Amino acid sequence: MTHAISLRIGPATFRVGSAWPGPLRDLARLYADYPAPLDAIADYTVRLELAGWARRWVRPSIFITGDHGLADAAPMSLAHGLLAAEMGMNLQMALGWRRHLLLHASSVEKDGRVLVMTGESGSGKSTLAAQLGERGWRLMGDEFALLDLHSGDIFAFPRLISLKNRAIDVIAGDVPASRLGPMLRGTAKGDIRHLVPRADAVARMDEGAPPALLLFPRFGHAVDVRPVAQGETFMRLTQASTNYVALGEPGFAALTRFVTHVPACAIDFPSGDEAIALVEQLWAEAL
Amino acid sequence: MTTANYYRAEPQEALVMRPLADIVLLYHRPSGRTHMVVSPVPEILDALQRDGGGTAISIHARLARDFDLGPPDEALAEIAAHLAELADLGLAYLK
Repeated sequence: MTHAISLRIGPATFRVGSAWPGPLRDLARLYADYPAPLDAIADYTVRLELAGWARRWVRPSIFITGDHGLADAAPMSLAHGLLAAEMGMNLQMALGWRRHLLLHASSVEKDGRVLVMTGESGSGKSTLAAQLGERGWRLMGDEFALLDLHSGDIFAFPRLISLKNRAIDVIAGDVPASRLGPMLRGTAKGDIRHLVPRADAVARMDEGAPPALLLFPRFGHAVDVRPVAQGETFMRLTQASTNYVALGEPGFAALTRFVTHVPACAIDFPSGDEAIALVEQLWAEAL
Repeated sequence: MTTANYYRAEPQEALVMRPLADIVLLYHRPSGRTHMVVSPVPEILDALQRDGGGTAISIHARLARDFDLGPPDEALAEIAAHLAELADLGLAYLK
């Protein structure tokens, strides 16, 4: 690759290569305060390559490849190169990570205990984690929570937070411009702007902590709280994990322990402020 | 499906059984598959494993010692159906 950068996010290291310098300039600026990789060998390689030889000049497009790739992934606009790099790193984690049970969930920590939030795209889990991360909680990740197979602790994967559409207005106004990436308009998921987690989230990204509460958030509904039974929780978490089947019995043991020890609730909320009040109330009750 | 079919149990070490508050999880080591089951399936599996195998009739006789199973004809038919399902899932074997 013509241009390359090495990054460490939580326990994972990446080498991201690109045919263009632009996406890597953004990555270098936004990940400037992250610790350097511990050694020269990366866990994963991500490559942003030309989608066809003429595409360097005509509507330049890139496709994501690397150690793990998706055969039918559509090329993306070069203008969305930062998003492509982030998606490439997520893809490597989702398809390749085996050291933890990987849950598609956001997580935040306070007083040494972790709140895990899982749900489909658009549920509000990412925005909620970003908001809590600005209000006294340590953001551990907006996309993946890493469940340790031996201790049962949650470990962080605090990559850039991917703010989407209305969440951009909600959060971007309260943080300095130095913590924000470029506005990426018209992506497959609408407008996206990346947010650098607060300095404490980056400095403490190697610290795990035991989970204390699991929430299934749902944005856009009247306030409601419903306890979720252990069986349903287990089933939904197997669906939210990209490597449950691959991990075999250690994954089964870790998830069973999580489900039997961590209370779970589904929460509905019409706005971020109500969601935060609800989370703080449930957190106080859970501890 | 008949109540006289004889089923052999999977050896005990092949199955990890973990009861949750509302269901029982079964992890089947040879296949790596996780099953979620509710009563009376765990009890039927347990009875099958204790005896090394059995028919719906023998399983019914064993369970009737500890549980009120209701009308025998209905209970027998239900146990026979569960044994057939367990065999389909690879958790018991028709001999």
